[in-house]
Amino acid sequence: MSAAIDDLPMPDLRPPKHRVERRAIGWWMLQSMLLAGPILAATTTAYILWEAARPWSLVAVIASSALLVAGVMIEPLWRYRVHRWETTDEAVYARTGWLVREWRAAPLSRVQTVDALQGPVEQLLGLSTLRVTTASSGGAIDIGGLDKDTAARIAKELTLIAQLTPGDAT
Amino acid sequence: MNSSLPRQAASTPPGADRHWQRLSARMIWVDLAQSILSLLPAVIAVWVIGVDPGTGQIWPLVGLAAVGVLGAIADALRWVFTRYRITASHVELKTGVLLRAHRSIQRDRVRSVDIEAKLRHRLSGLRVVKIGAGQQAADGESALAFDALSAVDARSLHERLLNPVEEPSDRGGSARQGDESSIAAPDPPLTVFARFQPRWVVYNVFNIWVYVLALGFGWGAYWLLGAFGVNVVDLVGRLLDWDSLGWTGTAAVALAAITLIGAAGLAVTYFAEYWNFELARVRGAEGTMLRTRQGLLTTREVNRDEDRIRGIQISEPVLWRWMGVSDTTVITTGLSMWSMAQPAGILPRGPVAAARRIASEVLDAEEDPFQAPLVKHPAAALRRRLWWATALSACIGLSLAWLAATGVLPHGAIWAAAVFWPCSLGAAYIAYRALGHAIVGRYLVTRSGLVSRATTVLQRSSVSTIVIRESLLQRRLGLRTVSTMTAAGYGGYVTPDIEARKSLAFALRAAPGVLEPFLTAHDNSELAPVKSPGPTRPHREA
Repeated sequence: MSAAIDDLPMPDLRPPKHRVERRAIGWWMLQSMLLAGPILAATTTAYILWEAARPWSLVAVIASSALLVAGVMIEPLWRYRVHRWETTDEAVYARTGWLVREWRAAPLSRVQTVDALQGPVEQLLGLSTLRVTTASSGGAIDIGGLDKDTAARIAKELTLIAQLTPGDAT
Repeated sequence: MNSSLPRQAASTPPGADRHWQRLSARMIWVDLAQSILSLLPAVIAVWVIGVDPGTGQIWPLVGLAAVGVLGAIADALRWVFTRYRITASHVELKTGVLLRAHRSIQRDRVRSVDIEAKLRHRLSGLRVVKIGAGQQAADGESALAFDALSAVDARSLHERLLNPVEEPSDRGGSARQGDESSIAAPDPPLTVFARFQPRWVVYNVFNIWVYVLALGFGWGAYWLLGAFGVNVVDLVGRLLDWDSLGWTGTAAVALAAITLIGAAGLAVTYFAEYWNFELARVRGAEGTMLRTRQGLLTTREVNRDEDRIRGIQISEPVLWRWMGVSDTTVITTGLSMWSMAQPAGILPRGPVAAARRIASEVLDAEEDPFQAPLVKHPAAALRRRLWWATALSACIGLSLAWLAATGVLPHGAIWAAAVFWPCSLGAAYIAYRALGHAIVGRYLVTRSGLVSRATTVLQRSSVSTIVIRESLLQRRLGLRTVSTMTAAGYGGYVTPDIEARKSLAFALRAAPGVLEPFLTAHDNSELAPVKSPGPTRPHREA
């Protein structure tokens, strides 16, 4: 069997066709700020108020500042270069991540639900996340940072195609 | 579930089945017997042995009596307030004293009908019937449980729900006839794969649970015997001359005694749980079912629809791998993997060679996936594990150094990290050795895991989502992780650290047809132009 795998020509995965919206960079920045900001505030407060722990709380302050800087300056731009998505008549295909990259593909014949979701920050920026779920608990594909109208339109179209497939899609 | 369902069912012509039925009335007698039995120890202790009721020693027995009697009363109340009926389309159950619940399952959604019996059920000719509708554990929805029906009713319910053919007109009369014949001869199995093996007891006594069981047993004995005026501590103290043994001797004897008691307990548990075990293929409503029957005092029968079985997993715990201990479970939709009863387990813990042979017979593939040679993973996979082991050891070392510097721990504690490092390197090597994957006919085979090395054989056609992951370290080492997501079993099975160049080939063959449209135009240019843009033409490119 291993021989057969070796014999195959070695093509590579091509990146999915579309990028996410440029506004998604702002979305990721805001998310990082909402997460790392309070941590930095807490460690700084501890540094100022609790003198006995000064040498160690300084380390915590530096670490949480680094987290904030990485989350706001590096992660969103890196993610924007990686995140891509594509849908065809047969499948959904997406690439996500920054430090850990992930390619996910699911055939529409296995799709159970297609939803366009909007978190509070996304509503602010007019963005939407397309969530495609299959019968598997680990099989969902999330495509964040889409324009909200695009996401709603694609959700509707994919739902129509998925309904054409008979069976319970397990 | 839906309040409109019973009304709709009630509009169908009346028959014997339309009426709401009670559970077996014999339950009341069982409850009465349980009350009397649970009062008995306290009564004996006070009147026969003469323990003074004023002292605290009697409390465990009073507690036992209270739990027994209250349980019996609750059970009797449950009987009074429970009704069920089987209509042409639904199975319905109304239950609950204060919080009334009305649950119904469509009959064509019924996936499993399992019959269980505890000792008290068996003595009184009762059976518990559990009806599952393919609910997932994540939904937090349990099966409908009929606790309890008479053995005859239980068997007839089982037959009627799983073999609707026997009930063509759905009239009470014909159903009754079906009962008689099915009680006389419960389905003969098509194939029997495995039966109870007394020798396998060896594989079941080597277990970490030995100590938990022994501690529980010792604690229970201390309290119960204490209630009868026997002081266990004194008794043990007089058994041996502990002072002459010294601390090490005492510890060694105690460890040996605890191990022996626990192992004996596990051996008894094995015989009680798996007595009369049989794994067989039987005829089901549509297609075939995989049936296990087992139990000495508490009997259990589980039927699994073979159409829903997507593969088999054999896992070998690392501590006992030298003696080939293995657990075998089926990968199937509609069975909870997290349930304590482990309905997916099809064999008792036993030798891995036998487990592989039986699993292959169950799968019945032309090419045996459990004997296929697996592709080894590259040395980079070992390097990744060694790096992680070293990083973890360094983290532990730094934390210990910090704790030592702040005076929480003595400085000697840092040496623990120095001991941990070689151990973690060894673990990294074991984890690397476990890695392997292959494609064999209709199945994909993947093996991984440190604590429990799991060999998973999964139908390729059941893979619904394919995921390829690559971390920064993996990219440097030229590795990729391929996950095959499926609706069955744990929901996804991971093949970590395949050589990056070969990972795509494995992913392509593990989920045929999913990734093909997304390949680069390398040397097969006909694949390159992506299928028609479909419903989602490139919208505004950002």
